[in-house]
Amino acid sequence: MELVGTSQKTVTAREAGLVSCTRCTRAWPIETEICGRCGAKLVSRDQTSLQRVWALWLVGIMCYVPSNIYPMLRTEQLFSVSESTIVGGAVELAQYGSYGVAGIILFASVAIPLGKFWAIAFLAVSVKQKGGFASQHRLLMYEVVEYIGRWSMIDIFVVAILSALVQLQGLASITPGPAAFFFALSVIFTMLSAQAFDPRMIWDVQADDDGAVVND
Amino acid sequence: MTDTPPKVQIESTRKSWLGGASFIWIIPLLALVVAVGVAWQAYSARGPLIVVSFLDGSGVAAGETKLKYRDIEVGEVEKVSFGDGLEAVEVHIRLDKEIAPYVDSSSVFWIVEPEVTAQGITGLSTVLSGVYIEGSWDGDIDEPASTFRGRDLVPLIKPGEDGLQIAFRTTSNSALTDNAPIMFRGIQVGQVGRAQIARSGAFAITEGLIYEEHRHLISSSTRFWDTSGFTVSIGATGAEIDFSSIATLIGGGITFDTFVSGGAPVSDGEVFEVFEEKEIARNSLFTTSAVDPLQISVIFDENISGLTVGAPVELNGFRIGAVDSLSGIVDFNQFGDSRVRLNVILSIQPARLGLPGDVSAAAALALLQDRVANGLRARLASASLLSGGLKVELIEVEDAPPARLTQEGLDIPIMPTTKGETSDVAATVEGVFTRINNLPIEELLDSAINVMNSAEMLMSNGDLQKVPGDVSTLLSDLSDIVTSEDVKNIPVALNATLTRVEGLIAELEKQRIAEVLGTTLTAASEAADAVTSSVSGVPELVEDIQTVASKAATLEFDVLIKELTALTSSAEALVSSPETAQLPVALSGALEQLNATLKELREGGAVQNVNQTLVSARNAADSIAVSARDLPQVIERLNGLFAQAGRTIDGFDQGEELSRSAQSALRDIQQAAKALEKLARTIERNPNSLLLGR
Repeated sequence: MELVGTSQKTVTAREAGLVSCTRCTRAWPIETEICGRCGAKLVSRDQTSLQRVWALWLVGIMCYVPSNIYPMLRTEQLFSVSESTIVGGAVELAQYGSYGVAGIILFASVAIPLGKFWAIAFLAVSVKQKGGFASQHRLLMYEVVEYIGRWSMIDIFVVAILSALVQLQGLASITPGPAAFFFALSVIFTMLSAQAFDPRMIWDVQADDDGAVVND
Repeated sequence: MTDTPPKVQIESTRKSWLGGASFIWIIPLLALVVAVGVAWQAYSARGPLIVVSFLDGSGVAAGETKLKYRDIEVGEVEKVSFGDGLEAVEVHIRLDKEIAPYVDSSSVFWIVEPEVTAQGITGLSTVLSGVYIEGSWDGDIDEPASTFRGRDLVPLIKPGEDGLQIAFRTTSNSALTDNAPIMFRGIQVGQVGRAQIARSGAFAITEGLIYEEHRHLISSSTRFWDTSGFTVSIGATGAEIDFSSIATLIGGGITFDTFVSGGAPVSDGEVFEVFEEKEIARNSLFTTSAVDPLQISVIFDENISGLTVGAPVELNGFRIGAVDSLSGIVDFNQFGDSRVRLNVILSIQPARLGLPGDVSAAAALALLQDRVANGLRARLASASLLSGGLKVELIEVEDAPPARLTQEGLDIPIMPTTKGETSDVAATVEGVFTRINNLPIEELLDSAINVMNSAEMLMSNGDLQKVPGDVSTLLSDLSDIVTSEDVKNIPVALNATLTRVEGLIAELEKQRIAEVLGTTLTAASEAADAVTSSVSGVPELVEDIQTVASKAATLEFDVLIKELTALTSSAEALVSSPETAQLPVALSGALEQLNATLKELREGGAVQNVNQTLVSARNAADSIAVSARDLPQVIERLNGLFAQAGRTIDGFDQGEELSRSAQSALRDIQQAAKALEKLARTIERNPNSLLLGR
């Protein structure tokens, strides 16, 4: 938290005429095209990054819609079949008094994916616009999104485990609904979208800001 | 900051908008295309939404309850809501697209629930799966509709189903039960729908369905009647409980029969009456219930106890109507006093009167008016001797005081009465009973008992019982006799005898016995004549026998039996006596003796004697013949003698005496010859006399 309040000007590698290898982090002169240490292609700024972010983000959003409309779980009991969507199941659980479980489900399946969408969108927008959000905070946001992305699959894990465990022929069985598929797709595309983001762009905006300020 | 690297000239890599687009955009585009495609497919495969309103939802749930047609799922409830004013439950059903065009304005919907009735359990599958909505429509695409009113009950007649759709009505009670089966010969051939009271309240009416395959059973002359419940009858055969089936016992049912042939085919919508029982149904066939009955009032002075509503009204013994109501009437103006009279309203069925032409109440009234002028009167009569019930008879009374069938205004016409015959009937019955009572039944029974006793005694008589045994013994004895060796020997002996007789006869013949055959035959003829004369007495003999038989017939039977028994037993005794047993022996002995006699005869006895006799007879005859042959000589001699005598007589004239002597001599000779002939004849006639010496 010492970052908060820091207004010190950060010099980017690009401004210093360098380019860093995103794989092995070694800095090279900006003209260098291939990393001499690990052989990765060196690009100072990935020009298509934002496009990929937006495209994948869009697909993630598209997949997220049906994953909430269609039922996540299909529970077949002796004489009845019940299908529950993510939100419906959480509400049902809350009605039965399991607020904790309902809260976890809502948090993991609704809040986090929505938060990720918002975070990625915000980052993607913020690299183009001058905003009042500290670059350090944006970087932190990016790292959290990156880190959390893999845990978003926890819903799919639950569905997969339940489907594997509860298969009592005729008496009761649980099968994943179509929402599970879309939810998994949504998570995957969100992660890809987050990975497609080039965090170095965060600093370019700051540089522009500073430049503008300087120019003013 | 002096170490800061030199400023790098950053080239702008701005390119055209499209050139700058990354290939990554293909992914969202692809996803979009897929999503749109799927959405379009789902939308285009979606059928129309219809709204069916029910009075209650009874288990219908959105997203779960299915719409079925012929038990196949063709739609699903999407939403359940209330209609305006909460009057009905509106069920929104998403139809399958391919079935949707057939769901037209004539479709019906109802909720299938498990139901237990007397006819059985229906909708059992819905116990587990939950209710479903059944729809029914025909195979034609008609005017489309999207809102329907669901049925409370399973509709009896479903669109698109075949079958004869008819209606039933009844004025009696409890004949029409909801969904009661229509049975025919124990097989359900149709079903009754839900009974309703007709708008006028006069009768109950319900729709009925006769299944297509049984359609031909119904014609315009078919009559239906109620078979529900059971009937208990106590009669000579004991108590009987009669009901057609448990289902009809509980749930009711109707059945039918076509009592007469020639009914016209029935089309949908025909209305049939349901009668209370079979007899009424049968009788109804001969009435036309469509014609209003003619009501006639009859006022009786007499006691009408026993007359009930529904009692028959008969014309010449034929039922033409029934008593409609009974009430008291006091009318001073009409009758001249204030006595309470009894007013009986008759309901006469005009069709029963056999009216020519127009069959109506007015025509019937006209007919009755005419008949009343000719003496037709109403009277009370006993309907049944046992129950004491009364009926109303219309009879024509001769010399009846003039009366008219009056009708004043709209009042019911009043029919004149005559004295009832109830008392007469009672008297007659009493007389009959008295006469039955006076019958000497006890004496008759005593005699019968005596007769029976005598018969029994006779039957149990030991002697009588012995008779068959005795007869049997007798027969066996006879059999013994017949089969005895002796008897068997008889033919042999007879044969021998006959052989001998034959031989004897041959000998006799040889000895020219045949010559006298002619005379013998003559004698036989005489004998036959004598027999004939004897036979002429036979009818008398028969008469005698008849008299004897009649006497026998008059004999007391048991005595006869006893005598017969005695006779039988004596016969038996005789047969079983040693003498009888020896009879064949004796017979055989006799034959043997005969044989021996014959042998003797042959050997040196009779035959030779006969021969000798014959020879001597022949000799005698010869002698006679010789004598006769000598006669001429004798005569010649006589002649000579006569001549001499003549001459002598001439001389002496005494020849006459000589010829007289000669004549007597000749006469003697003649008698001798006759005797000889007689002997021969006797032998001829009865050769046995030679054998038997008689």
